[in-house]
Amino acid sequence: MRRGNRIVLACIYWAFVLYVFVPLILMILMGFKDSKFIGFPIRSWTFDWYTGIFSDAEVLYTFGYSVIIALLSTLISVAVGTWIAVLLESRKFWGRAFTFGLMVLPALVPGIISAIAFRIYARWLEIEPGMGAIIWSHAVHNVPFVTLVVMARLSTMPKSQIEAARDLGADPLIAFLRITLPYLVPAILGASIFCLLLSFDDFVRSFFLGGYEPTLPVLIFAMLRSGMSPEINAISTVALVLTAAIGIWAERYTRNANKGSL
Amino acid sequence: MSTEGSVSNDREGPVKTGDERSFWGRLANWGPYQTLMSFVTISPRRQFFILAAFPILWLLTQHLGPMLQMLRVSLLDAYPVAPDVAQEFSLESYFKFFGDPIFWMPLFRTLIFAAVFTLCTLLITYPIAYFLARHVSRKNQMLLLLILLIPFWVGEIVRTYAIMILLGNTGALNLALKWLGLIDRPIPFMYTSFSMGLGMVYLTALYMLLPLYSALEKLPKSFNEAAADLGAGAWSRFRKITLPLTIEGISSGCTLVFLISTGFYATPVLLGGPSTTVFAETIAGFFHVAGDEWPTGAAFAVIMFIVALLVTGVFQRLMKSLRKGESS
Amino acid sequence: MGDYKLNRRKFIGMTALAGAAFASPAYIRRASASGGEVNIWTYNDFVPKSFKKQFEAETGIKINIRLVDDQGKQFNLLAAEQPNPTVDIMTVAGHRFLQFIDSKLLAPLDTDRLKNWGKINPTFSESDWATINGEKWGAPILSGMEVLAYNSELVSMEEALTWDTLFSDKYSGQTAYIIQDMMSIVMLMLGYDGNMVAYLNDPDKAAAIVEEAKQFLIRKKPLVRKYYDSGAEVQQMFVNQDIALGHSWNGPAAALINDGFPLGMTIPREGSYGFVYTYNIANNAPNLDNAYTFLNAILASPEIGASMTKASGFISTYKDASKYLTDLEKRSTSFPEEQLANLQFFRAEANKMKYGLVDPAVEAVKAA
Repeated sequence: MRRGNRIVLACIYWAFVLYVFVPLILMILMGFKDSKFIGFPIRSWTFDWYTGIFSDAEVLYTFGYSVIIALLSTLISVAVGTWIAVLLESRKFWGRAFTFGLMVLPALVPGIISAIAFRIYARWLEIEPGMGAIIWSHAVHNVPFVTLVVMARLSTMPKSQIEAARDLGADPLIAFLRITLPYLVPAILGASIFCLLLSFDDFVRSFFLGGYEPTLPVLIFAMLRSGMSPEINAISTVALVLTAAIGIWAERYTRNANKGSL
Repeated sequence: MSTEGSVSNDREGPVKTGDERSFWGRLANWGPYQTLMSFVTISPRRQFFILAAFPILWLLTQHLGPMLQMLRVSLLDAYPVAPDVAQEFSLESYFKFFGDPIFWMPLFRTLIFAAVFTLCTLLITYPIAYFLARHVSRKNQMLLLLILLIPFWVGEIVRTYAIMILLGNTGALNLALKWLGLIDRPIPFMYTSFSMGLGMVYLTALYMLLPLYSALEKLPKSFNEAAADLGAGAWSRFRKITLPLTIEGISSGCTLVFLISTGFYATPVLLGGPSTTVFAETIAGFFHVAGDEWPTGAAFAVIMFIVALLVTGVFQRLMKSLRKGESS
Repeated sequence: MGDYKLNRRKFIGMTALAGAAFASPAYIRRASASGGEVNIWTYNDFVPKSFKKQFEAETGIKINIRLVDDQGKQFNLLAAEQPNPTVDIMTVAGHRFLQFIDSKLLAPLDTDRLKNWGKINPTFSESDWATINGEKWGAPILSGMEVLAYNSELVSMEEALTWDTLFSDKYSGQTAYIIQDMMSIVMLMLGYDGNMVAYLNDPDKAAAIVEEAKQFLIRKKPLVRKYYDSGAEVQQMFVNQDIALGHSWNGPAAALINDGFPLGMTIPREGSYGFVYTYNIANNAPNLDNAYTFLNAILASPEIGASMTKASGFISTYKDASKYLTDLEKRSTSFPEEQLANLQFFRAEANKMKYGLVDPAVEAVKAA
């Protein structure tokens, strides 16, 4: 019975994998089409789109720019989000529900609205549009995702561990850094992946808060005006391969690091 | 994952604050640090305020700030205006919504769509989360989750166009069906609720999958085994034990997905048909097409936000009473 | 008090940025050139790459381009940056001038400073829409129009000569259009002035006309496959054969033709509207002199105009630009004289009244 269940569930999982990967495969395929538009039928194939990307520094530069924005904004989101999670899980206090509501706010506001709200606010704060402003808006937008994930993890943490440490004379900061933080690592890693993804794919905020350097989605939107060309697919494929490589490397690295500590 | 790792780490010697050799020991015995900590921990109250100060400041300035700006704009009679024109407060933008039924339909439709997509996403992702959390070894869980994440590294727009060439009249799906001899004329999949749903689940699956996965992962396996020993069938085990214990995850996943999917713009616009206009499109119109009706756009955004919050409030209530009913 | 407030705001802003801003200053300013810079908001490929390289080498002025993808976003951005914009030159369509001018976002163009002004075809540079309040507001670069595009393997040229085909039962479920644009065209089909300038003094008549056009589109709603927004969408629908014919701008349609797709386009006999993209100088532009240097340089040669056309599919406003096009490109960017006679330009004078009526009508059509 259990075995049967398992097979059915495995089938559902792999069917879902198929569903999310088929458009991806089509996208990669179209990057090799010798035409200015994607779609079937494909009459001839070419590598020109790829040679174009690697001979034009602009696209790779834009990719790097987006990656740096994603990394820095994630760093801020994770630090702030974890801090807020610790506050919300620490104990009951007056206004906790309100604080929680404030915390989730940025995640729930539709993109265009949040982008324009940020733009108005940035102007009021006299923040110049540009890289710093994009990082700021991404960081704020992603905080709730970090906090929610970290809170879920914190709530499963056995209180006894912290108490034991405190009994042994550790002050709250050291107890947090030595016990709570290591316990939170998986949650923080998961949240980081999520933040990186959200930042890397964000168009509206990057557009409204950006300066004269486009991020990858902004560049793609601008290119889209002259049609969905295989070039865009090739760029996305290159970005996908590069980020996947970075991701796999990071996963390996943390896995090995964990093994080492065991 | 590394839960075990950290626990076993600490087992070899909890926190040796007294140990002079370790970094932590040296830090704990360092004079300035001790002064700082004794200042901070002088009372639980002060400790709490120091912990709370930064988050509260951040939440008020960064989370609430932009929204208050938005609210302010929604209450102006014109924005943006030329530098020398005076602005006045007005509720006109809100009257515009309540005065004209043509704006109610897209809002209502958006709520229905969001609810349906939330339900679909739940039905699709629950078995997957269940599979990952209960039937896969811990070592592989992360890997199988990461596999699902890969396609999300492709931008929303590029992915949406890929769905178009999958479902179009000369798209991959129609070509495949024709090649199999199942159809002679292409089936118009595109620009229907179907194509829109297919694209939307792509966007929402992640938000549902993660809370469900973490709820299911927490569930001790022993519960199920004990029930099996008592002779409970698979279905009743699921209904009586797994489902009630994961209702928290279901409720938070659904809330998140519902609220987020009310705000989707690009995918429904690109994949939807002539009768699937969503409210976000209406709102964006005030900012994009007209360009100078920010107050109306902002007011509509505030309305949508409040309505969506009300709906989720009712939903949360419902889930809470359900949970109580189950446990009694 | 005012000072204090400013400082506090700045402080909040600075703390928000602290972590982010100092991390990688190299990315914020890539290079500063000897001759200063000029900041431009424009569509992809509206400033040809080869021109950019040459201009920067010859003048020492660095061109910073911010890519935009629609008119409304430029307006929003510029409005948000007022009163001290970062931008010198924007790309506004002629019929949107009034909105920018009313909000004091544009500076009038001093054509005496542009010795190459005469290289623009006077059809565009001296047209009625180009002069507002006795001033010129932009240098025309590319011209577009609303056309009826059709898959020539499925639809005949004769059928495509009238907008009626777009609403015929024969092509039910195989058509697409942009509703906002279609409202103006339907008014024209019904025999009215789609610019609504004629009804400026008769708002009741204007409302009745918009209502009639709205009812027409609602009646025809069951026949349409898709109300779309962007050129890329209509191109993809043609490629996927989701539609056989549709309303389109000539630029995206021409790009498909140039790629070898069996597409045709006409200006139907009921008439249609044209519009012109122009380069404009922002009010309080930070690098005004460089902006004029840039405008003068980009207008210098018809070859530059031709390369803009090649990239965008829109028709060049430069005299003799078509000399530098291939035969296929010439074909995709020209129309027979008798069709061009049906064309008129969008006018902005009545826009406030027109869009006050049309925008809710569009919502009503979508909601129907």
